[in-house]
Amino acid sequence: MKKILALVMALAMVMSLTAAFAEGEPVVLKVASIWSAETEANRAPMLKTLAEFEEAHPEIKLEVEWYEANAWKDQGETLALSDSLPDVFYWNAGGVLWNLVSSGDILALNDYLTDDIKDQLIGGALANMTFDGKVYQLPYTNACSCLYCNTELFDKYGVKIPETWDELLDAVKAFKEAGVTPMALGGGDKWPTNMYTDIIALRFVGDEACRACYYKTEGATFLTDDWKEGMTAFKTLIDLGAFPDDALSLTRDESEVPYFNGEIPMYVHGQWFSGSLSPEMQQKVKAVKFPAVGKGYDNQWMGGPAEGFSVSAHTAHPDEAFVACQFLAQHQSDNGFECGAGLPAWKTEVQCGNPVMNQIAEQVATGDSLLLWGNTALSGDDATLIGDTVYDLLAGTCTPEQWCEDMETIFNK
Amino acid sequence: MKRVLSNKWSIMVFVLPTVLFFTYIVIFPIFKTLWYSLLNEIPAKVGDASHFTGLTHYITMFTPGRRNPFPGAVVNSLLYAALSIFVQLPFSMFIALLLADGPRGESFYRNTFFIPVVISSVVVSLLWGRIYKGLLPQLFEAMNWQVPKNGFLGNANTKIWFSFIPSLWQYVGYHMLLMYGALKTIPEDIIEAATVDGASGAKLAFRIQIPMIKPMLKVCLSFSLIGSFKLFDTPWVLLERSNMDLPALSMYVEMFSNHKYSYASAQAIFIVAECLVFTALLNWVFRESDGKPGKELARK
Repeated sequence: MKKILALVMALAMVMSLTAAFAEGEPVVLKVASIWSAETEANRAPMLKTLAEFEEAHPEIKLEVEWYEANAWKDQGETLALSDSLPDVFYWNAGGVLWNLVSSGDILALNDYLTDDIKDQLIGGALANMTFDGKVYQLPYTNACSCLYCNTELFDKYGVKIPETWDELLDAVKAFKEAGVTPMALGGGDKWPTNMYTDIIALRFVGDEACRACYYKTEGATFLTDDWKEGMTAFKTLIDLGAFPDDALSLTRDESEVPYFNGEIPMYVHGQWFSGSLSPEMQQKVKAVKFPAVGKGYDNQWMGGPAEGFSVSAHTAHPDEAFVACQFLAQHQSDNGFECGAGLPAWKTEVQCGNPVMNQIAEQVATGDSLLLWGNTALSGDDATLIGDTVYDLLAGTCTPEQWCEDMETIFNK
Repeated sequence: MKRVLSNKWSIMVFVLPTVLFFTYIVIFPIFKTLWYSLLNEIPAKVGDASHFTGLTHYITMFTPGRRNPFPGAVVNSLLYAALSIFVQLPFSMFIALLLADGPRGESFYRNTFFIPVVISSVVVSLLWGRIYKGLLPQLFEAMNWQVPKNGFLGNANTKIWFSFIPSLWQYVGYHMLLMYGALKTIPEDIIEAATVDGASGAKLAFRIQIPMIKPMLKVCLSFSLIGSFKLFDTPWVLLERSNMDLPALSMYVEMFSNHKYSYASAQAIFIVAECLVFTALLNWVFRESDGKPGKELARK
């Protein structure tokens, strides 16, 4: 009996060995993804994407490491210094991407990007990922910021959802009088304040001039009346008490709690916020375009595809890495939109179950232009500066004029 | 064995590997950082493009300007050092003296004061974050007091002070334990003799106990001074993201957010130098009593 068993075992081993040789060992690729927390809206879609990949590409095995977004940013920068980035990894576009591109850590994808693949992307999807005509990333999501209005509170206090700047100021005053904090803001994290200043600046300065400044084009300047007017407008909101009294010490997450609880009527934030709303809140919240100022820039949006997957320049398997990169980006785009985690960056037939996300998708599709946020388009200490200066505006330690002068220093390097 | 260890040469041979290893992982990087701090900004990676710029970064670091937070950061760290020395250490000493006297529940109190030291600084910071953002404002509201504008951690004038309190509070137990341990080693007969001579309470503390634990006081002072210059974790968690209100915070932001490696290296070297200078100063102040705890006493 023992002998037969041993024989069977030996046979099985030989069979499996030959099978392995026949099919070839799968190529193993290291992948770094953010969304380590179970609560992340993108986590479930990413798990689905990975399962789909496993089924579609048995010849490639993905070893995924999960990180928290900020931790991965630091970790990625550190790994880049020692040329040990994973084969395929999540990364931001714009200036953050440029940091790694300029140090030669990211593979240009032009050789792999056929017209067929490009046609499947939405228009202009690669703009923030292309440097000197070379594409370094494939987006999995499109982004934009909008004004989230809690219709329940608007109805309760008889306030009209603002469509113009004056109506916005009236709404702020009305809520303030009723003892309701008008707008949510987590100023302690700095970047949530940029969400407000960027969209206000866009309405006053316009896409073209903003873009010139954020991409440091020659001749661009912050020292114009339009910029000053924009920042003064933001200051008006602060002075009216639009934001929580302790906004400066709140993190983004802390600041959103009262909004989720239905205590704050308005919030300017990215489209991903709609994915964090509970099904009950999704019925109450209406996402609208930021109010018009009447300078001709009223249908312009902040955002654009700003996150994606990149391939390390030091990968041993560039062909397989590109296959994985494209698959992850495209399928995550579909899966993310399907469950309301983000707007798609690839053309899709998928429908979203989140009504707020659908409202955003519809409106942004008819927008005139999409401009990447200042702190994402700028890099290094310029990005830190635009965060610091809006923090100071909020703290009242800097005037709109000083803000413009401080920002102008980014051109003097 | 005794014969081997009595040979100075053999001791040197045994110690040498450790010295070499220590030099490689501690001393060598300090000099390498010093070298980086003299180069111009290296884009993302140390490459051929770098060249020598001398003390430019050090000059930039201390050139006053509205957008140069470093001089202010140094002042803040000195303030924190002063607070540790003049508030935290005396308070620890006070508790240590009380506990060394052997009150009821001595070990209970000792352990209780030590608990914050065991907890991770991040946990302590989150805990105090809740206090500043929830408990304290509610208390102020209940008492009808004015909460600082923008909240305790948002007010530009007060936030740094509020971020100091948690770490001051946290390490009271640490210094208390060191001092308490030292106080316990003072021979009973000295205390008894002093008591017989009529010394008690404050007199006993200031004339007998504190002079006798001077070496330990020096240790505590060094720890709190150096700790002040390196302070990072609590303000990093409590205050706004990417704040540069202390030298270590500024160095971190310049290095990892702004990618100014050389400039950050210069700040790191400044922190190292600051620690060395103050340690030397402390050694000089305490030079007499080192190792001879009774000397001062004998003179009196």
